[in-house]
Amino acid sequence: MLILAFDTATDVATSALVWDGEVLGEQSSRPISVLQDLDAILRRGGVRDTQVEGIAVGIGPGSFTGLRMGVATARALAFAWNVGLAGVPTLEALGAGAPGAVPVIDARRREVFVQLDGHPVVLSPADLSVVPGRLYVGDGALLYREQIEARGGAVPPDGDVHLARARFHAQLAETFGPPDLVEPMYLRVPDVDRVSP
Amino acid sequence: MILGIETSCDETAAALVTNDGRVLANVVSSQAKLHARYGGVVPEVASRHHLELLLPAVRQAFDDSGTRLDQVERVAVTQGPGLVGALLIGVSAAKALAWARRLPLVPVNHLHGHVASLYLEPDPVEPPFLCLLASGGHTLLLDVRDRRTLEVLGTTLDDAAGEAFDKGARLLGLGYPGGVEIDRLASDGDPEAFSFPVARVPGLDFSFSGLKTALLYTVRDLGPEETEGLRADLAASYQHAIVRALVERAEAAAQATGAERIAVVGGVASNSELRRSFSNAVFAPPALCTDNAAMIASAARFIEPIPYPQYLALDAFA
Ligand SMILES: [Zn+2]
Repeated sequence: MLILAFDTATDVATSALVWDGEVLGEQSSRPISVLQDLDAILRRGGVRDTQVEGIAVGIGPGSFTGLRMGVATARALAFAWNVGLAGVPTLEALGAGAPGAVPVIDARRREVFVQLDGHPVVLSPADLSVVPGRLYVGDGALLYREQIEARGGAVPPDGDVHLARARFHAQLAETFGPPDLVEPMYLRVPDVDRVSP
Repeated sequence: MILGIETSCDETAAALVTNDGRVLANVVSSQAKLHARYGGVVPEVASRHHLELLLPAVRQAFDDSGTRLDQVERVAVTQGPGLVGALLIGVSAAKALAWARRLPLVPVNHLHGHVASLYLEPDPVEPPFLCLLASGGHTLLLDVRDRRTLEVLGTTLDDAAGEAFDKGARLLGLGYPGGVEIDRLASDGDPEAFSFPVARVPGLDFSFSGLKTALLYTVRDLGPEETEGLRADLAASYQHAIVRALVERAEAAAQATGAERIAVVGGVASNSELRRSFSNAVFAPPALCTDNAAMIASAARFIEPIPYPQYLALDAFA
């Protein structure tokens, strides 16, 4: 199955073209230019749109705006190409790229998103239970490196291991279904600072 | 055929318009009721709903018109101004739909869109004209010379006209959006009962914040019981003050530019007193007054499209 996958939940957008587990192309940039990446990897892979059989998109948690850009893009593509869409939790893709490590995503407001007993949660970095000797990855791990290392955890040097690489979204994607069923994982209720229309 | 998408504020909209300006479908999913309990638009709530409503709106536009995506020749989308997080949902979807078919994309300025609501069939308005754009987000006087360009002659220094209606409605204990509620109540009131001053600012600009304060003081002086009894008069007088300011300034602007015609667009254009008060003006059709995507597709007929692949990293602007 030929899968086009991408994730825009964090500041670094990742994309990949994967055919039956084989990565045909990979690229990363910013959420605003994710289509440029998809365009480039399809062209480089010599793949026509009509050959794409499914789309996998990161559903967060992460930046609300980035997340929605990704899901809006994915839904539109799935609709236009009439292919199925799969939503993959960003934390799971991040974790799949660093087996054994704890994935940590920056949640802004001095909080992080982490996977706790298989469920994503939002908590203060101080409440993160750090296991001595264990690896922590993701932009949240980089941001709170000092706190994690002070408690015995290890954070690898900045690099690809901290990205939710889209090749893992393609790998983790299970059901490709109607685009409207794929929704962002917000984990927070909206603030109600209102503005006039 | 042009596919238009609009998500700048609290309406999620998709439309299909032919190259010669016929509206084939105009779908607007309003979130106004959702935001009513907050008395204004909550950006994060709006963005979440845009995402949920956009693809269904696009799908419905095709269903309503019996057309398909492969008949679309260009995709038009509101790029700004508006709530950036909300705009980015429309921009992301529009870019993806355009890219999926390697179509050109037309980023549209929301204000151009409102003016272009006048260029649609069956009664297109031909420039030049002086345009009053009055809505919840904007109060602008525009010199429209041709279908491609417009020049801003004046704007509000504080609240937009629609915002003044919303705030007034809140002071009078009415619902949201306030314009409709005040308009309804005002029909039973005396517009001369209270004299609410509208600040006269130099040039062709507007200022509505003093008006809101005047209403606040009046309501406070009257007390809750008397306010309740005089609500229709208060609404009528308040509305009268806003409408008078809009009409006076628009007519002054028309005189200054030598425009022979005044055109009124935007949500406030549906106000009944405003419609009565201009002696000689054209109004956008009511269905096209509030934010919609037909006006965005209409504007795109007169803008040079961006060819594939140059739009793939296109951003929105506030
Ligand atoms: Zn508007």
